[in-house]
Amino acid sequence: MLVLVVMFVLFRFGIRPPAPWSVVTLYMTIVLIAVLVYVSSDSDSWRSFLAPIRSTLVDDSKRPIRFALMVLIPLVVGYYAYSQAAARIEAPAELRAIHPAPPASISFKGKTLDVQGLDNPLRKDAANFRKHVAEGAVIYIKNCVYCHGDNLDGAGHFSHAFNPPPANFTDPGTIAMLQEAYLFWRIAKGGPGLPKESKPWNSVMPAWEDRLSAEDIWKVIMYLYDATGYQPRRWESHAAAPHPQVVEARRGGSFPLAFLVAPVGRVLAPPTEAQQPGDPAQGKIIYEKKCVLCHGEKGDADSPAAPQLDPKPRDFTKGKYKVRTSASGQPPTDSDLFGVISDGMPGTSMPAWKVLSEKDRWNLVAYVKSFAGGAFKEPPKAAALPKEVAASKESVARGKEMFEAIECNKCHGNAGRADGPSAPELKDDWGNPLRPANLTKPWLFRGGGSRLQVATRLVTGLMGTPMPSFIDSVEKPEDIWHVANYVRSLGPDRPDYATFMPVRAVAGEIPDDPAAPFWAQQPPANFSLAGQVIVDPRNFNPSIDGVTVRAVYSEAEIAFHLTWDDPTASKPDPKAKTFADQIALEFPATAGKEGERPYVLMGDGSDPVSLLLWTSDGGVGEATASGIGKIVPKMADAVKATGKAVFADGQYRLVIKRPRGSKDPNELAFPVGRFLSVAFMAWDGGAGETESRMSFSSWYYLRLEEPASARPYVIPPLVALLTVGLELLVVRGARRGAQGEQGGN
Amino acid sequence: MLKWVSVLCAEVLAVALITGASTPVTAQGGGSIVGEVKFSGTPPAPKVIKVNKDNQVCGDEKKSEDVIVGANKGLQNAVVSVVGAKGPAPKPAQKTVLDQKGCQFVPHVLVVPAGADLDILNSDGVLHNIHTSSTANPSLNKAQPKFKKVMTEKFDKPEVIQLKCDVHSWMAGWLVVQAHPLYAVSDASGAFKLDNVPPGKHQVEVWHETLGKMTQEVEVKAGAPSKVTFELGKK
Repeated sequence: MLVLVVMFVLFRFGIRPPAPWSVVTLYMTIVLIAVLVYVSSDSDSWRSFLAPIRSTLVDDSKRPIRFALMVLIPLVVGYYAYSQAAARIEAPAELRAIHPAPPASISFKGKTLDVQGLDNPLRKDAANFRKHVAEGAVIYIKNCVYCHGDNLDGAGHFSHAFNPPPANFTDPGTIAMLQEAYLFWRIAKGGPGLPKESKPWNSVMPAWEDRLSAEDIWKVIMYLYDATGYQPRRWESHAAAPHPQVVEARRGGSFPLAFLVAPVGRVLAPPTEAQQPGDPAQGKIIYEKKCVLCHGEKGDADSPAAPQLDPKPRDFTKGKYKVRTSASGQPPTDSDLFGVISDGMPGTSMPAWKVLSEKDRWNLVAYVKSFAGGAFKEPPKAAALPKEVAASKESVARGKEMFEAIECNKCHGNAGRADGPSAPELKDDWGNPLRPANLTKPWLFRGGGSRLQVATRLVTGLMGTPMPSFIDSVEKPEDIWHVANYVRSLGPDRPDYATFMPVRAVAGEIPDDPAAPFWAQQPPANFSLAGQVIVDPRNFNPSIDGVTVRAVYSEAEIAFHLTWDDPTASKPDPKAKTFADQIALEFPATAGKEGERPYVLMGDGSDPVSLLLWTSDGGVGEATASGIGKIVPKMADAVKATGKAVFADGQYRLVIKRPRGSKDPNELAFPVGRFLSVAFMAWDGGAGETESRMSFSSWYYLRLEEPASARPYVIPPLVALLTVGLELLVVRGARRGAQGEQGGN
Repeated sequence: MLKWVSVLCAEVLAVALITGASTPVTAQGGGSIVGEVKFSGTPPAPKVIKVNKDNQVCGDEKKSEDVIVGANKGLQNAVVSVVGAKGPAPKPAQKTVLDQKGCQFVPHVLVVPAGADLDILNSDGVLHNIHTSSTANPSLNKAQPKFKKVMTEKFDKPEVIQLKCDVHSWMAGWLVVQAHPLYAVSDASGAFKLDNVPPGKHQVEVWHETLGKMTQEVEVKAGAPSKVTFELGKK
């Protein structure tokens, strides 16, 4: 019993079990029942099993334990009751078949393919195995890496915008238990091709048959197995056995643990691992397996992936690195390089390579240095970091003063949102355009967002970029820390992405003004947005990466308050190739089909969507859409939404209000107490974003909450009292029974 | 307008004459090279950049300085040097100074002796950052906020270094870190003068930031100036 509990706790919160969670719980339940069956099989063992329980209930010597249990159990039960009564800030649990049975056959580019029994034709060509894997890797890095990540762990830099998150291929519950034909079906048909029990509308996996040939798909599959080290499952002889279905309950908000940690996953202190001399020859082997697709064979970032990436992969031949502890103008230390390899570059496609052994990473350090010729000839001079100053109110105030005196705003903007007057013209030393950091989002700082890391960047500068060293350019050395403390006061530590948007009830008029203090009092829900890379033209480097939503409703109206960062308020200008800034809230057009959602990218012909949108040149509007580029704006009187936007310091704030109900069942309506679907799309017209070049999210839920009730505070004490009563009855019964036995003897 | 220009030209000429006249007589035994760098072809109209920040100190427009052609097609800011000359760069009597004034590097091309201190001024009272593209010397990217009037830097190795300021993207300048004394920068009329050149045959090189390099052989005799004219043009 104890073993089971310990295993439960360990698997749930500690190590990642080598099997899906649903399977683990299933096995644990079976073992528990088996144990109970065994002990109750004959009366002797049953008695000895019950003896400790009974003695706890009866023996006077065990009174303290009895009392402790009698207090603890009602508390636990009461807490459970509370969590059930109060747990409303959550999306509904959705049962979703994650490995549904594939169809017997699919049509692929006009041809019929039998999925059952289908084998990867390229496997027969054993002589070209490595060539096919290498070509698959290139296809992966150009198309899949954004969501599934360079580590194949489903944690690509777009992954935060999607619920459910992208598949983790390194999880033994995914490709390791599937046939290659199954993967072919999933890649070719994507989310839209899933059967209904798998909620195809929730997935943003594109149908890759539109973009990749059959051979390309087989090559990617070979790469996935080769890179993860798994073997594809083979067809059993006379493969007619039904495919096992694994059903997983995915609750909104229950991301895997690693996923929650990811946004601020950088270690705050410099790497503590003892420095080891690396072997460049060994490093070369790892490099050619893991790094070459972005950083290039010669280390000069001339690679298949580079053209689509922003920031560009590092060109190692110059010996210039952003994230260092060495002085300005100096190459990085080995530990600096080791740190970047281990922790990755937040907000970019460079993942944390902790999956590699420490030895491998040190070998990589040695190999990467070898590209830069003489740059590492002499050991780098360390930068002197002034003595640390704690983040007090005074320090932050002094930091603000210095921030203004040294004109950080020139690039980073007055409020730190990367909207300074020099921001649009910045280029790195290679001539690539570059965006300054948005200082309100420290989880995206390339060198990490801790105070120490920010202070270090101020001292050393980011070499190869416009970010200079400030150590000789502040009034006193400790000003570095004051500025770092101020910078860190500009934004939260982590984004706290929401998966659910509660809409609160309010009495009276809802303010139209986005700057009204009313809005600051409403709880925010942050939704991550990712680039749209499904439909051409694709947007690999979106400008807007998130939107914060506050929503309330009154008797007659619903109102959404949206906040998002955009460096410029832009209007359409064909000469400058800019467009209007836009944002849209997307809802299913018909609420009729319970639980089913339209295709998230503006629906399709059979399942349209309704849009509440705002454009910088047209204000608030409404539209229906049946696909990207198939938007039908509502005209004049049909537009019931009203709203107002303000722009200041690189941030839009917008209120959109609309009547809640409608008599027409085909119209958008917001009834109380029902889970409704919502998704978000945004365009930074100043960055050339328009139409399909946008950022978007997957579907999320919103719900108009009933006016606050006292339920969560009344029910749990009642439940706890009831439990105490039951306990007293049980103890009393047991003691009576024991007395009866004694009396009988 | 025309009057202004002519006054300016006259002034430049006067300054050139005075400085030319006041130059000390060449050292004993050495010759000198005097000459001109000319732009061949039709000089391009300078690009005009609209200033969109710090207008109170930077002005509203900046003329690009990448090709400056004066009277008689004289090319300014060309660096003339004697290839393979020996000897340490002379320690200048005064510190070499690079100013940032009106959101421009002044002078646009500056010869700096290797290893000597270079004072970088910020006369504008707004943030600049000195960002070099050096490879032989450590690359430099230092902020120079408004209150930091002077920064002193040193470049040990001879190299032609491009300067930029990321805050003001139009700002461009060049540092020519010299390995020996025989360097000169052409003035507004394209004229230059190299003193203390040992007698004999020399390869003389001219370098210009956008028009490239060219070399000519020049024979130098003691006590007498040798004349040379370079013509650089768009390729």
